[in-house]
Amino acid sequence: MRINKHPILGKLDRKEICITYNGSDYQAYEGETIAAALLANHIRVLRYSEKGKKPRGIYCGIGHCYECRVTVDDERSVRACVTVVQDKMKIRSQGMYANEI
Amino acid sequence: MIQNMLICRCEEVLLADIVASIENGAGTLKAIKMETRAGMGICQGRTCRMLLEQVMDFHTDINVQEANNLSYNNPVRPISLANLSRSGKDSEP
Amino acid sequence: MPMKYDLVIIGAGPAGMGAAIIAASHGASVALVDENPVPGGKLRGQVYKEPKANWWIGQEIARNMEKEIKQLGVTCFLEREVWAIYPKWKIMLNNGEQLESDYVVLATGAIEKPIPIPGWTTPGVMAIGAAQVMANIHRVKPGNRVAIIGIDALSLTIAYDLKMAGVDVVGIYLPPFNEFSLDKSNPLKMIAYLSSLSHLAPNPILKLLGKLGKQASVQKLGVNYYPPFGMRVWGIPLHLRKAVVQILGDELVEAIKVTTIDRSGELETKQEKRIPVDCVCISGGLYPLVELANVAGCAFVYVEDLGGHIPLYSDEMETTQSGIFVAGNSTGVEGAKVAMAQGELVGAIISNRLGLLKHGTELIKQAKEKVNVARKNAVIKFHPTIESGREKVLHLWNEKAVK
Ligand SMILES: Cc1cc2nc3c(=O)[nH]c(=O)nc-3n(C[C@H](O)[C@H](O)[C@H](O)COP(=O)(O)OP(=O)(O)OC[C@H]3O[C@@H](n4cnc5c(N)ncnc54)[C@H](O)[C@@H]3O)c2cc1C
Ligand code: FES
Repeated sequence: MRINKHPILGKLDRKEICITYNGSDYQAYEGETIAAALLANHIRVLRYSEKGKKPRGIYCGIGHCYECRVTVDDERSVRACVTVVQDKMKIRSQGMYANEI
Repeated sequence: MIQNMLICRCEEVLLADIVASIENGAGTLKAIKMETRAGMGICQGRTCRMLLEQVMDFHTDINVQEANNLSYNNPVRPISLANLSRSGKDSEP
Repeated sequence: MPMKYDLVIIGAGPAGMGAAIIAASHGASVALVDENPVPGGKLRGQVYKEPKANWWIGQEIARNMEKEIKQLGVTCFLEREVWAIYPKWKIMLNNGEQLESDYVVLATGAIEKPIPIPGWTTPGVMAIGAAQVMANIHRVKPGNRVAIIGIDALSLTIAYDLKMAGVDVVGIYLPPFNEFSLDKSNPLKMIAYLSSLSHLAPNPILKLLGKLGKQASVQKLGVNYYPPFGMRVWGIPLHLRKAVVQILGDELVEAIKVTTIDRSGELETKQEKRIPVDCVCISGGLYPLVELANVAGCAFVYVEDLGGHIPLYSDEMETTQSGIFVAGNSTGVEGAKVAMAQGELVGAIISNRLGLLKHGTELIKQAKEKVNVARKNAVIKFHPTIESGREKVLHLWNEKAVK
């Protein structure tokens, strides 16, 4: 999913870091958002809705809709689309398990 | 099928619910919100506010634009209770 | 203790940064707040070729402005959401910080209006702006096979962005008629709209439509003879006779269901086709984000040409609440150059109020002229009648002053 070469924006040259999502390791690039890093790894489902338990992913991409809420380290409901990844960041989807707080 | 479409993504409110609330007499955005919870979720209506206005426009004679229903309330963004209580006092520099 | 500044600016898009640079360069102490980790706002996602000029690469422009802001000593509060403004004027940040200033600039930009379509909450469906952010800022494809729903200046621009990024854009379609799509689902109205974009038209047939399409009779002909397989714009099929009636897939988007629209505008349900895609982008247009002006108590007006409800503002960009100014897309939806020029104008006006300018009147006059020139030469016009919208606001302001 990465756009490594772009006719106008040139080559992609960024530092690699490692994040975990629901317990698995994934590669990410420094400076990108959680949403971008996960999408680059083909991950679109970020949480399940509270009532209908339906899968949800990013919608607005700019922090307005709060659809992209994930748990980061131990903080709940962080917006994946406006939060930058950090090395070793632990990200979890929300709404998957009945025993979630 | 169309009526089963979600309008408020946060509170998972269907178009059918909103239309039903209008048919049951909800005549203002506020009434629709109170009855269906549409627009009352975490995004605070940033995604569906305009849509609720459009449903009203479409299904009633009320001109929502002219009725100037804008009524945002503090806080305009979700904040923690800790912050809300702290806001009464001065924050640390 | 609240932190005091000469000026607090909310929103670090081109408007907010423009205001910050001008005010700080005249010696004002400036705080700039944005919820994003990096300044730039929507400017960062923009990449397009300007006629008879170079490529407009928003990221580079944003980066240069950021450097300037840092050099000028503007204090940036990033990754902070402003959740309230209290008189006179206290700005509340979501991490508990509080800023205080006599002058506030609201430069919170615009927000996308969705068009709900059955299946629009399935992961893989996103607002068109999200696709731009992914492709141009983060350099991640929003999908491998993408369908775009909604025809407007933004969706055409971003279709091109995706094409450049190597994404297979299977087509640009109309939304089906419902409470939310209204005119955007009407082929006739869309031809009329496209004709207003003819300055953008990348394709000779579209250009021709643009020239001819201003006449109603020709618009009708255009619909009747519009090829059922669409017309190609940069190799992307642009469909004026096809609507996406449903987005299919449970966990992820798998396909779209497309129906042909007959000459009277009705859907021919027998003609339904399933087209596999992994991403759908919806474009419903933009409207000004004005919640903070509302909670600050500013008076509002509804001006269709500007994108909807906007805070009433004077020719000095001040709202009905003294000390609260507006700039950029929160006053009406326009391109980044106009937003930047509006920001610079507000920066000059506030510097003058603060007594920092020697030749204030002259500088402000120049800044106003710059806004007009930027508006006149804009590549992307979101509302073809923006100028009359701006005049309307001034008229309403003067009316109010008389009362
Ligand atoms: C999705 C999208 C795509 C666009 N694409 C183009 C394009 O390709 N070409 C073009 O010319 N124009 C485009 N535009 C129009 C664009 O809005 C202008 O070009 C320009 O960026 C407007 O500048 P601004 O400074 O007014 O607002 P913005 O650039 O939108 O900046 C506003 C900033 O304020 C922040 N903010 C808002 N509320 C708060 C709050 N409460 N607390 C903290 N921060 C807040 C926002 O996060 C944002 O960073 C697009 C607009 C959108 C919405
Ligand atoms: S996708 Fe809308 S807030 Fe993140």
